[in-house]
Amino acid sequence: MAAIETRGLTKRFGDVVAVSDLDLVVEEGEIFGFLGPNGAGKSTTIDILLDFIRPTSGTVTVLGHDAQSEGRAVRQRTGVLPDAYHVYDRLTGRQHVEFALEMKGVEEDPVALLDRVNVADAADRKAGGYSKGMRQRLILAMALVGDPDLLVLDEPSTGLDPNGAREMREIIREENARGTTIFFSSHIMEQVEAVCDRVAIIDRGELVAVDTIDGLRDATETGETLYVSVAELDEGVREAVAGLDGVGSAAIDDGQLRLTIAGDSKFAVLESVDEIAAVQDFSVIESSLEDLFVRYTTETQEVDA
Amino acid sequence: MTWLTVAKKDFRDAVQSRALWALVAVFVIVSVLSSFAYVEAPELFGEPDGATFGGLLFFTAGIASLFVPIAAIVVCYKSVAGERELGSIKLLCSLPTTRADVFAGKVLGRAAVLGFGLGVGLIVGLGFGAVMLGALDVVAAITFLLVTLAFVAVYATIVVGLSATTGSTSRATTLALGFFVVFELLWDAVVLGILYVAGGFSMPNPATMPEWAFTVSQIPPSAAYFSSIVALLPDLASRANAEPAQAGTEASAAGGEPFFASPEIGFVVLACWLVLPLVVGYVRFDAADL
Repeated sequence: MAAIETRGLTKRFGDVVAVSDLDLVVEEGEIFGFLGPNGAGKSTTIDILLDFIRPTSGTVTVLGHDAQSEGRAVRQRTGVLPDAYHVYDRLTGRQHVEFALEMKGVEEDPVALLDRVNVADAADRKAGGYSKGMRQRLILAMALVGDPDLLVLDEPSTGLDPNGAREMREIIREENARGTTIFFSSHIMEQVEAVCDRVAIIDRGELVAVDTIDGLRDATETGETLYVSVAELDEGVREAVAGLDGVGSAAIDDGQLRLTIAGDSKFAVLESVDEIAAVQDFSVIESSLEDLFVRYTTETQEVDA
Repeated sequence: MTWLTVAKKDFRDAVQSRALWALVAVFVIVSVLSSFAYVEAPELFGEPDGATFGGLLFFTAGIASLFVPIAAIVVCYKSVAGERELGSIKLLCSLPTTRADVFAGKVLGRAAVLGFGLGVGLIVGLGFGAVMLGALDVVAAITFLLVTLAFVAVYATIVVGLSATTGSTSRATTLALGFFVVFELLWDAVVLGILYVAGGFSMPNPATMPEWAFTVSQIPPSAAYFSSIVALLPDLASRANAEPAQAGTEASAAGGEPFFASPEIGFVVLACWLVLPLVVGYVRFDAADL
C-alpha cells in the first residue's frame, strides 16, 4: 500500500492554479523529497494532504484513508511539521508536547521527546521566547509524538544552523529506520540529496520529474561534465571533438572545452581529444542536484515561453 | 473528546494574557465602585426609597450588559481568526482532531476564561455591596450570577463565532465591533426605524405601540439578558422598578401579555444567540482553507 497517493489533484485559488493535475505515489517506508522553487505548489500539496485546504478536484489518500473525509484517522498516524506555523507564545515547550500527547491520546514522557530534538533544557520556558531553530525543534518533537507511521515535514531545515540541519537529517534517518515513511519538501538541494530515496520535482503546480537522484542525473544527461584545456582551441577543434564517440555535447567555455559525457569512459574520451589537440589539463565536475533542479525548472519555463 | 483538550489548552493560553487580567481588574474596580455608588446614593439611580439588595442586582445587571459585550470582544475576537492569521491553527489542525472539535473547544475555552474573570468581578462587587447594605438574598444572588454567566457564554459564542468566519483579525475586529454597535448601541434607533417604516413612514406614537415592537426591542443579547433576569426574579424586579422596558424601547410589558411580549422571551432570544453563531461559525470555519 502506498503511504501517499494523489490522483488528478488540482487546487485553484481564484484564477491562480496552485497545483495542477498532480499524480504522485509515495511508497511506505521510503524517504521522499518534494522539491520545487518557492511558490511551486509544495505547501499547497502538503496542506491538502493534511486537510488544511480542500482540493478543487482529484483525490488524495494518505495511509489508506481519504485525506478529506477521514482526516482525523490520517493525522492520528501522522506527525507534521507545517510550513508558516506559529507556536503558542504563552505556553511552554513541555505544554506544547503535552498538548500533542493528549490530542493523540498517547502516554509518553514529554521531556524525553524534547531531549531527542535537543530542547529539553528549555522545556519549562515559554515558547514565545524560543529562537526560530528551537521552535522548529519543538514542533518536530510534537510531530514525533506517538511514533507516527508517516512524517510530513514542510521545509524542515528552515531556521536551523548547519548543525541543526544535520541533526534534523539524523532524526529523519532514525525515524525512517524505525519504519516511518518520510515526506519532506525543500528548496535546498543538499538536504534532499543527502537523505532521500526518491525525489519529485514540482514547478508551477506541475510535476516535472519523479525519480531516484541517480535516475534524475541519467535522465538529464548532466551526469558529468569534463572541462579540457587544449593547446589550440578553435571552432574546428570543437566540431571534431563533438563528433567523437562518447561525447554528448561540446562547447567552448572560457577558453576550455566543456564536454558532457554520454558514455562511461572519460579516459577514452580524453585520449581521443588528445589526438585532435594536445590536452594540457582537465577537470571533472559531477553535477549537483542543484544543477538538475535548475535545469528542470528552467526548461519548463522555456517551453512555456 | 479532543474539544475538551482544545478548550483546556485555550484556557491555559488565554488565562496568561495580560489584557485579560487588566480587564478583570477593571471589572472588579467598576463593580466595587458601582456597588458603592448605588448603596451610598440610590436616589441618583432611580431608587428614592433607599437601596435594596434586589436593586443592587438590577443595577449591576445594567453594568454587566454593557461590560460583558466589551469584555467578550476583547477576549474572543482573535480566538480563531488570530490563530489562522498567525498560523498556529496549523499546529492545532495537524493533530488528530476535527474542525468541529477545534471550534467547540475554542468556544468553550473562551467562555470559561470570560466567565471566570467576570465571575470573580461580580462576586467581589456584589459581596462588597451586600456588606455595605447588611443584606443578602442568596437565592436571588445565585440566580443572577447563573443568568449572567449564561449571558457571558452567549456573548463568547457570538464573538468566537464571528471570529471563525474569517482568517483576518482586522475583519474579525470589524465584525465584532459592528455587531456591538448595531445590536447594543444603536438598536433603539433600529427599532424606531422599523416602526417608522411599518407605520407607513410616520413617526410612531408611544401610546399605540404594536406588541411586536417589544419583541423586536428584545433582540439584542443584553436586552434578552435583562429580560431573563426580570422573568426569573419578578418580585425583585417590580420592587426595583426594573421592567425590561429599561433595556429597550418605551413599549410596556403589562400583565396578561402574550408570550412574545413577556420577559420570558429573553430566554428564547438568548438561546437563539447561542445556536446561530455556532451554526454560522462552524459552517464557515469548516469550509475554509486555513
